[in-house]
Amino acid sequence: MPRSRISEEFPHGPLHAMLAVAVLVTIYPVLWVFSIAFSGKQSLAIADLPPTPTAGDRLRAVVPWPEKLSVSNFTSVMSDQPFARWMLNSALVAIFTTLLGVFLACTAAYAFSRFKFPGRRVGMMAFLVSQMFPGTLMLIPLYIIIVQLLGLGSSRIGLIIVYATTSIPFSVWMLKGYFDTIPKELEEAAVIEGASAGKIFWRIVLPLAKPAVAITALFSFMTAWNEFILAATFMDKENMYTAPVGLRFFVGGFSQQWGYFAAGSIIVSIPVVLLFLYLQKYLVSGLTAGGVKG
Amino acid sequence: MPAPPAHRLRFLIAVALGAVLGAVLLRGFVSDASRQVADEAQERQAVVTLQALTSLVRRAGGEGDAVRSAVAAWQSRTPSAPQARVFRADGIRLEASTAPDDAGDRAAPRRLRREEKPLYDRSQRIAAAVQTNREEQQARKPEIEVAPAGARLSLAGPLEKNGAVVGIVEIETAPLPLPKPAGWSGFLLALIAPIAVFGGLAFLLGEKRLPLLAAAVVCVAASLSWMGRAAVSELAAQQQRAAEQVAERVRDQATVTQAVATAQVLPGAAAAPGSWDVDDFRQPLGLLTPDGSVNPQRLAQAVDTAARELRRTLLGAGALALALLLLVGLGAFNLIGRSLRRHRQAYLYIAPAILGMVVLVFFPFTYGVTLSFTDSNLYNTGKAISDVWIGLRNYADILGDFAFIKRGDGGSFVNYLNFYWTLLFTIIWTVCNVTIGVVSGLILALVLNTRALALRPIYRVVLILPWAMPNYITALIWKGMFHQQFGVINQVIQLFGFPAVSWFDRPASSFLTALATNGWLSFPFMMVVSLGALQSIPADLYEAARVDGASRLQQFKAITLPSLRPALVPAVIISVVWTFNMFNIIYLVTGGEPGSSTEILVTQAYKFAFERYRYGYAAAYSTVIFGILLVYGSIQNRVSRATEA
Amino acid sequence: MRTLLGIAALALAALASVPADAAEIVVWHAYRAGEKSALEKVAAAYNSSHPSTKVSTLAVPYDAFADKISAAVPRGKGPDVFIYAQDRLGGWIEAGNTVEPIDFFLDPETKARFIPTTMEAMTYKGTVYGLPLNYKCITLIYNKKLVSAPPKDSDELVAIAKKLTDKGAGRFGLAYAYSDYYYHAALQNAFGGYVFEGGAKPAINNPANVKALEYLLKWLDKDAILPAEPSTALITALFNDGKTAMIFNGPWFLGEIASNVQYGLAPLPKIKEAGDKPMRPWMTVEGAFVAAPSKNKDAAYDFIKYLTDKPAGIIMALEGRQSPANQSAYTDAKVAADPVLKSFHDQVEVAVPMPNLPEMTMVWSPATTVMNSVTRHAASPKAALDAAQAAISKDVAGLRKK
Repeated sequence: MPRSRISEEFPHGPLHAMLAVAVLVTIYPVLWVFSIAFSGKQSLAIADLPPTPTAGDRLRAVVPWPEKLSVSNFTSVMSDQPFARWMLNSALVAIFTTLLGVFLACTAAYAFSRFKFPGRRVGMMAFLVSQMFPGTLMLIPLYIIIVQLLGLGSSRIGLIIVYATTSIPFSVWMLKGYFDTIPKELEEAAVIEGASAGKIFWRIVLPLAKPAVAITALFSFMTAWNEFILAATFMDKENMYTAPVGLRFFVGGFSQQWGYFAAGSIIVSIPVVLLFLYLQKYLVSGLTAGGVKG
Repeated sequence: MPAPPAHRLRFLIAVALGAVLGAVLLRGFVSDASRQVADEAQERQAVVTLQALTSLVRRAGGEGDAVRSAVAAWQSRTPSAPQARVFRADGIRLEASTAPDDAGDRAAPRRLRREEKPLYDRSQRIAAAVQTNREEQQARKPEIEVAPAGARLSLAGPLEKNGAVVGIVEIETAPLPLPKPAGWSGFLLALIAPIAVFGGLAFLLGEKRLPLLAAAVVCVAASLSWMGRAAVSELAAQQQRAAEQVAERVRDQATVTQAVATAQVLPGAAAAPGSWDVDDFRQPLGLLTPDGSVNPQRLAQAVDTAARELRRTLLGAGALALALLLLVGLGAFNLIGRSLRRHRQAYLYIAPAILGMVVLVFFPFTYGVTLSFTDSNLYNTGKAISDVWIGLRNYADILGDFAFIKRGDGGSFVNYLNFYWTLLFTIIWTVCNVTIGVVSGLILALVLNTRALALRPIYRVVLILPWAMPNYITALIWKGMFHQQFGVINQVIQLFGFPAVSWFDRPASSFLTALATNGWLSFPFMMVVSLGALQSIPADLYEAARVDGASRLQQFKAITLPSLRPALVPAVIISVVWTFNMFNIIYLVTGGEPGSSTEILVTQAYKFAFERYRYGYAAAYSTVIFGILLVYGSIQNRVSRATEA
Repeated sequence: MRTLLGIAALALAALASVPADAAEIVVWHAYRAGEKSALEKVAAAYNSSHPSTKVSTLAVPYDAFADKISAAVPRGKGPDVFIYAQDRLGGWIEAGNTVEPIDFFLDPETKARFIPTTMEAMTYKGTVYGLPLNYKCITLIYNKKLVSAPPKDSDELVAIAKKLTDKGAGRFGLAYAYSDYYYHAALQNAFGGYVFEGGAKPAINNPANVKALEYLLKWLDKDAILPAEPSTALITALFNDGKTAMIFNGPWFLGEIASNVQYGLAPLPKIKEAGDKPMRPWMTVEGAFVAAPSKNKDAAYDFIKYLTDKPAGIIMALEGRQSPANQSAYTDAKVAADPVLKSFHDQVEVAVPMPNLPEMTMVWSPATTVMNSVTRHAASPKAALDAAQAAISKDVAGLRKK
C-alpha cells in the first residue's frame, strides 16, 4: 500500500487536537439541526433564555440539546403530507439522473481523453463555459423547452433530463482528468490482442476509473436530490413533487416551521449520507489513477 | 491519395448554393417588407375611418338616439362599409351597432351579453391605456387597438367626454384584399443568371482556383445587387401608392362626416381631416397635410428610411450568401466532412452529451444573450424582439457607470448598486472562499493522510458531512446561528462577556457570516480531492528524497505539491466558477443586507430581473458575469498549460 | 376475472358520477395545514353541490409559487384559478395573459358583499381582477395582566407605556418592528402619507411621510418607550416574558404567543398629533384570480364567487383561521363570537390596502434603508427619504425607458 510519509514523524497528539476542533466546527451546526428536529417545537431557539441570563443559562443555550426530547416533528412530517411518496420520486429521479449523467459523461470524457480530434479543446472549454452563465435566469427558457416543447411537465423524465445535463460538465472535467492519468499502455496491449474500442472502454478503462466514477455519481445524485425550484415549477401534481419541494413547504410565507424543516432535512439527508459512507473508499482512494502504476 | 482537383465543379456548386440562398433570403425579406407596407396602408386607412367615426359620435353627444342615427347614416354613406359599434362602459351598454348580428332583440341599445366579455375587456384596457399614458406623459400603451379578425381588421379606440374615457368605438373592416404576391421572374433570373454566367466563365478559365473564386463572387454579387436594387425601387413606388390611398380615404371620410353632420344637425366643428392619420398612441403621423393630401417631403423622408432599412437587411442576406459561397468554394465543408468521417468514433462518444448540452444549456444561453440586447421588461414582455432591441445600451449602462463612490450632503459613501463595487465584492468573496476552502481542505487532508492515525475513518466521515447536507438547509441553519437574539454565536460571544453583535447590520460582519457558511460548506470537497491525490503519491518517492537528505519542507515542495497539481487545478478552476455564482448562500444568508452591500453579481442580476422587472438589463448583467468568467477561464487555462510545459 | 369486472364497474361508476362534459377547474394555492384543509373542504363542498364542475387543488411551496405562476400561466400551462396576495397583481397584469379581468362578470350584489378596501386591493387601473378572499393587517395586541384597558389614542398610549417602561430592567411599554417599513406604514398613513401619487409616480419624500418619521423619533427618543433593535424575535421574547405590555402585530404572531400570556386585541390608537386620525395599517389581501388562459373562465369565476361567499368564508375563518373579506361572514354567530376575528374586523375598517403596483417591489429596499438610518440617527428623516426617492425614481425610470 503506497502511503505518503510526510507527516510520519509528527506526534499524533496535536494532530488529534486539530482534528477535534475541525470535527467540532463541522458537526456543531448538524447537531443543531438534530436538536431542533427532536425538540418537538417549531422555534429556532431550543432554550428560552431567562430575562437576565447568567453564564450558565447562556452555556445551556449554546449546547445543542433540546429541553424535551420528542419525535413528534418526525411523525408529523411523514404523516401530514405524502412525504414518503415525495422521497420515492426524489429517489427515482436521482437514481436515473445518476445513471444517465454518468453514462453520458463517461463516454464524452473518454473521447476527450483518448482521441485527438478537431474541436476537442473547444468542446472541453464549452463544458466549463456552460457553468459560467448564471443559472437563476434559466428558469423560463428551461420551462419553455421541457414543458412547452417537449411536453414533459409533471413527469420525472423531464427533471431527469435537466438534472443529468446540469451535472455533465463537472463530471466530464473530473473524469477526463482521471482518464488522463490511466496509462495508455493497458489499452494498447488490448488493441494488440484485438479488443474493440467499446470493449476496451467497458472492460478496462471503466473498472480502473471507479473512484472518479464514484465521485461523479455522487455529484449527479446530489444535483438531482437537492434541486428545488425547477421541480416545484415543472410538477403540476402533488404526488409528483420531490422531497426538497416538500421541505420548502415548512419555511417561506408567513409561518416558519423550523422543527418540521429540521426533521425533514434529516430525513432527506440520510440517503445522501449513506451513499457517502458507501462510496467513501472510492472517494479517498484518489482522483488520479497514478496509484495503479505502483 | 488526394483526388484530382475539381475546382470548377466545386465552385459551380458553391455558386448555385450561394445564388439559391441569396435569392431565397432576398425574396423573403422583400416580400416581408412589401407585405408590411401593404398592411400598414390598410391599417392606416382603417384608423382614419375609426377616427372619423369617433369624431362624429363625439359630436352627436356620445350616447342616445343621436349617436345611433349618426352611426347609421355614416354607415350608409361609407363606401367601404365597415361594421361599427359604440360601447359605453357605464351600464355595460352597447350604445349603437351596425353589425348584422345586432338586430331584432339584440339591437342596440342593450346591456352586453355574457359572451361579449371581450368587448368589455377591450374597453377597460383602452381606458387604462389612456390613463397610463396621460399619467406617465409618454406613449407606452396603445390607445387604438388593432387586431386581425380573419381577413378583416378589428379596431377600437377610446370615446372621450370631457377628457375622460367613457367607452369605445369599434369598427370591423370589410374583408381586406389579399396582398399581391411578388412576381417570380426576377427571382428566377437572379437564380439562373449567375449559374449560367459562371458556367460559361468556368469553361473559359479552367481549373484555376483564384480566378474561379473571383468570378464566382462577382457573378453572385452582381445578380443579388441587381435583384436588391429592383426591390428597393419597387418598395418606394408601393409606399407612394399607399400614401395616396390613405389620403384618398381621408378625403372620403371628410365628405361623409360633413354630410352626416349637416343632415343630423350635429353641433361643433369638424377637426382637420389630416389629423385622423395617427399611430396606435393617437399621435399624428404627419405624413399628410391638415386638409388630407400627401405631404411630399415627409413621405420622401419615410420612403428614404424604409429603403435604408431594407438595404441594410438585404446587404446582410447578400453577405450570408457570399459566405456560404466562400465556405463551399474554398472547401470548408469537404474538410468538415472528412474530419467527421475520420474521427467518427470520437464524435460518436461525445455526441449524446453534446446534444443534451446544446438543447438545455446553449439554447437558454443564446436566449439570455439575445435578451441582453433588448430593453425587455415587465411592460413589454409580449412584444417582438425587434421592437425592444436596444443594441449595446444595457452594456453601456452597466459598464459605463463609474460612480462607485457617491457624494451626498452627509459626506461620500459607496454606491452599493454600482457594478464595479459588486464586481469587487464578488472577487473578494471568491478569492476568500476558495483560499479558505483550499487551505483548510489541504491541511486537513495532510493531517488525515498521516499513517496509523487512530480514528481516521471516523474523522473522515464527519468531515465530509457538510458536503452531504443540501446547501439550502445549511444556509438557513447558519443564518439562524447568526441570529442577533437567539443565535448561538452571539450566545458564545456573550458568554465571554462581550456584547452581542448584530451581524447583518454592517457590510463587513454580514460578509463574515456568508463567508463562514460557505467555508463550512466548501472545505470537504477540497479535502477529498487533496486526500485522493495525496494517497496516490508513491511512498518510494519520499523514501528517495529522504535518502538524498531533503528536508520536510523540500519534500513538500518537490513531491507533494506537484503531485497535487493535476487534481487540484481543475478543482480550483471549477470551484472559482461555482463560488463566483454561489447564489444560494448569499441570497439565503445575508440577502444582500445591509443595503445591497453584500450582493454578488448573480444575486444582483436576480434582483434586477425579479424585483426591478428589467429582464433585458438582468440578462446583460448575466452575460457580463459570463464574460468575466470566460476571461478568467482562458487565462487560467493558459497559465496552467504554460507551467505544465 | 370477477375482481377485474368489479374494478371495471367501479371505474365506470366513477366515470358516470362526473358528467362527460364536466368543466375541470384546477386551483393553485400556497396554503398549508389548517388553511389547506379548509380550502379543500370548500372545494369538496362545491364539487358535491355543482356536479357539472370538478374542482381540484394543488399546493405549491410559497418560495416557488410566484415564479411558477409567472412561468406557467402566460404559456397556457397553468391552473384555472390561483390564490395570491395583491402585491404581485400589478406585475402580472402588466406582463399580460396571466390574470383575467373579471369586473364584467361582477354584479353589484357580489361587489357589495366585500369590505370595500379589500375590493380596492383587487382593482388595478380601474379594472377588477380578482375576488378578495381574506386580509391580514397588524393591530394592537396587549398583555391583559399589564394593561387593563387598551389605549384609544396616542396620549393614553404614551402615558401607559411610559409607566411600564424600565430600560434598566429591559421593560418596554410598547414594542413593534418599527424599523420595518411595513409596520411603520400604519403611522405614516395616520399622517396621510403615501408612497405613490398620480398613478405610479414615486413620492416617498412627501411632507406627511417626513412628519410620520419625526413622530416615530418622538416615541423612540423623547418618550423612550421603544426598545432598540426591534427584531421580530426580540418582540416575541419580550411579549412572552411579560416585559412589554403592548405590541403591534398581525394574525401570524398569535401562534407565537406563549400559552401563559393572557392577551387581548384592540384597534391601533388614534394619533393626536396627526389631527386625531387613527393609525392605519397596510393590509395585504389574498385574492382568488381567474387565470387568463383558462378554458373554463365562466366555471372558474363561478367557483371563486362560491369561495368568497358567506358559507365558504365561515369555513375559511373558523378552520383556516383567516379573516374573510366577505362582510356577511361576520354575522355568523361563531365568527362573531371569535375575539380574534372580530378584532381584526374592527381594525380593517381603517386599514389601507398595500399598493398593488409593480413599482412597489422597487420601494422595499430603499425604504428599509430609510428606516434603518433614521432609527439609528444616521440620517434625518427628510434626507433619508430624499435619498430613497432618488433611488426609487431611478429604478422606475429604468423600467419605463423606451
